[in-house]
Amino acid sequence: MNKVIIIGAGPAGLSAAITIAESGHSVLVIDEYMKAGGRLLGQLYKEPNGNWWNGIKESQKLLDKAVDLGVQINLHTPVSNIESINGLWRIYTEDEVYLTSHLLIATGAAETPLPIPGWTLPGVMSVGAAQVMTNVHRVKPGDRGVIIGVNVLSSAIAMELKLADIDVACITLPKMNSVTEKHGNPLDVMNSLLHVSHMAPSTFVKLGSKLMKNDFMKKMGITFYPKNGVKMWDIPIMLRKAVIEIYGDGAVEGVKIATISTAGEIIPGTEENIKADFICIAGGLYPLAELAAVAGCPFYHIEELGGYVPLHNERMETTLPGLYVAGNITGIEGAKVAISQGITAGLAIINSKDGGQQEDKIKEAVNFTEQTRNKAHIQFHPEVKVGKQKLQKYWNEYLISVKNKVHN
Amino acid sequence: MTKRIIHHPVLDSIEETDTVSFTFDNHKYQALRNDSIAAALLVNGVRTLRHHEESGTPRGIYCNIGHCFECRVTVDGKQGMRACLTPVQEGMAVTSGGKLLTSVRDWRSQNE
Amino acid sequence: MIICRCEEVTYGQLVETAKKFSCSSRELKLRTRAGMGYCGGRTCRLAVDSIAISSTNRDVSKITLKYQPPIRPISFAKLGDENK
Repeated sequence: MNKVIIIGAGPAGLSAAITIAESGHSVLVIDEYMKAGGRLLGQLYKEPNGNWWNGIKESQKLLDKAVDLGVQINLHTPVSNIESINGLWRIYTEDEVYLTSHLLIATGAAETPLPIPGWTLPGVMSVGAAQVMTNVHRVKPGDRGVIIGVNVLSSAIAMELKLADIDVACITLPKMNSVTEKHGNPLDVMNSLLHVSHMAPSTFVKLGSKLMKNDFMKKMGITFYPKNGVKMWDIPIMLRKAVIEIYGDGAVEGVKIATISTAGEIIPGTEENIKADFICIAGGLYPLAELAAVAGCPFYHIEELGGYVPLHNERMETTLPGLYVAGNITGIEGAKVAISQGITAGLAIINSKDGGQQEDKIKEAVNFTEQTRNKAHIQFHPEVKVGKQKLQKYWNEYLISVKNKVHN
Repeated sequence: MTKRIIHHPVLDSIEETDTVSFTFDNHKYQALRNDSIAAALLVNGVRTLRHHEESGTPRGIYCNIGHCFECRVTVDGKQGMRACLTPVQEGMAVTSGGKLLTSVRDWRSQNE
Repeated sequence: MIICRCEEVTYGQLVETAKKFSCSSRELKLRTRAGMGYCGGRTCRLAVDSIAISSTNRDVSKITLKYQPPIRPISFAKLGDENK
């Protein structure tokens, strides 16, 4: 019971474990995956200073530190349920029920799919699946792929596939419907790309995007966008085409694409086939908060954070005693923010155990998270700060409601 | 194993020496120790991991991180094991799930 | 086009049902089985949600589709294990 338990061995979970172990408390980290590191494991990109952010190396650093400090890590361990009974959290796994007074949920995010006819064929996978297969397992997802969904994640992974000498025929949009919505609308997609244009590798694309910051120019840009796309890392990014079907006999053989209007409507007669043996679907990420939900956390839907987020404060405390959250479960940001949040949650837990001696350190950690967020080179959602402010408002409302209950 | 990424411009090279053999639906395959079953099969050109219980449509990995359960296979007799996060081991017997004999449900609107 | 991969519920079936019954996400799930398959709705939850709410306003303070434990499969053998 004295052991702090962390569900999720990703950057947030491991960082929290390190922080807690450094102060002398014992920690157990549980994860269902076969390796520690979470989704940090598959990450690989060049930072502005020219250095490579190598997810495997970064995960190993965290893991080594945690193990050195005596943190116990149980991999291959899915958690089926958590509940609070008599002030203690019970964590149900297949072979054991763990008890703890302090539980941190750092389960990260899941991918939102973009349904397309034929997407259940073998060879169609989420874009993250291709990343893991390539960088973590070192197996090519296929010889030639098409990526459906144009956003930060799909562009980064397209680059990673190229690095591993895998042919990516193009990155393009899904056919628009009430599920794919903005992902299939060229203007919305262009809008979302412009905030990451600073990452573009070629000066041409960078300059072009500088010109496009105003609405008129954006509309012009989309209207005159080359039908065969603009190339980045030698891969055509086609904003005026959409995949209407994935075909193949028993497995993926290709996609049928068509040219679309600036509003995302299919132009009849423009259909053509592109041969491919793997397809990546990139619909974005959403917080994987199922455990927080079964625990009874209140949730709010905040678009800017990626979806439903469990109510929590900047100290990573939820409304339930002894329950904390950190990492992508709190909103989709990068690994560095996850690490910083993990440290914050760790300090908040220690603080709760040692009667409030960590307040200064917690303040520092909260500030550091804020700074990390501001410095972030890649932002999955441009309006993250707005999202965090909305959440803080909900938290303040919650505090007021608690006060009112106490007084009544 | 031409689908293996041995050398990489940024990541470390991998060793191909520590191999294990296992079976999938009674076919023998070779892979590297600690490959996930899904990766081990993919590197051998096997994409189809099961067939849908009702429609019989072929399925392979989708999310590859244990969320979607599309990759569920039976490993040494144990059902529902996710191929994407189960490490392959020497002598492992993996079998795929197929279409069930009778339709699991028939209350969809066309059967009203 | 399939929306719920586990139960093979199609976009057409969902849109038709949503229109016929003007229902919430939850009712849509109960009527079609979308979201009740092996993956616990993890894959199709947001899609089913967007089809249901495309005609109504979302209440941001409530999750539309409930999470029910166990959120990972458990075998009956493990549940009934007397050695626990």
